Amino acid sequence: MLKQRIWQQPVVRTVAAISLGAIAGALCRYYFGLAMNSLVGIAVPYSTLVINITGCFAMGFLATLSLGQVVSLHPDVRLLLLTGFLGAYTTFSSYELDSAHLLEQKRFQADLFYWVGSVTLGLMSLHFGIAFAEWLLGKLDPAEATLHQRDRSN
Amino acid sequence: MEAHSFLPLWIALGAIPGALIRYYLTRICLEKFGGEFPFGTFIINLSGAFLVGFFATLFQSIKADLTLNGFVIIGFLGSYTTFSTYALDTSNLLKLASYKRAVLYGIGSPVMGFLGVELGIALAQRL
Repeated sequence: MLKQRIWQQPVVRTVAAISLGAIAGALCRYYFGLAMNSLVGIAVPYSTLVINITGCFAMGFLATLSLGQVVSLHPDVRLLLLTGFLGAYTTFSSYELDSAHLLEQKRFQADLFYWVGSVTLGLMSLHFGIAFAEWLLGKLDPAEATLHQRDRSN
Repeated sequence: MEAHSFLPLWIALGAIPGALIRYYLTRICLEKFGGEFPFGTFIINLSGAFLVGFFATLFQSIKADLTLNGFVIIGFLGSYTTFSTYALDTSNLLKLASYKRAVLYGIGSPVMGFLGVELGIALAQRL
């Protein structure tokens, strides 16, 4: 009885959704990073680069998909996936720390590639995610696709 | 980085407050400054960059335990700052054709984040 009432409170649901997503996101980042590092080495911080790029793709995809009326995400699920999981999976602090380390080692070319590349590739992959979601929405319901494209400014 | 049995637990414990502070700070900024410019994520990423420079340097010089590194840097700061929302915000500003804001945010974040991390490193080295 009491348990049910607690889980009905919006604050509790919000905090729980974000926390669960964040735990999964941060651990995915950690384990994926370990796997990448043992695979390609740590010469260039590829792991954070790949994590941020894949996270951007998923963000573009899910944010666009959940805007449509064909696929509806419950607000709590949106918080779990976007704010919790993807927010914690991708990271800005490691990106800046990694590029500061490359600069410290005077590896200017690698640093420039990593620093500028993260931003441009991240934006590109976000747009691939958006385009993929729009294509999928068009497949699911052609009327929705046109409506969605008209509403893009929102 | 070697495996540590309790490290994932510390990462998870750091990730929770990181994500929650990010969420509530973003909401507060949205209420205070409106949605014209993503001040929330901007402030979060810049402060996170400063803090990661500071703590990474500090932990290295005091040879801190691996769990502390996992809790603060991988868990808390990794989860507090975000790259995916930064990219989404930039894309939204471009979509709205507010190019000045898009450039300020899209280029300002990595540039000022870089300055922030260097400031954090320099401050920790002076201690």
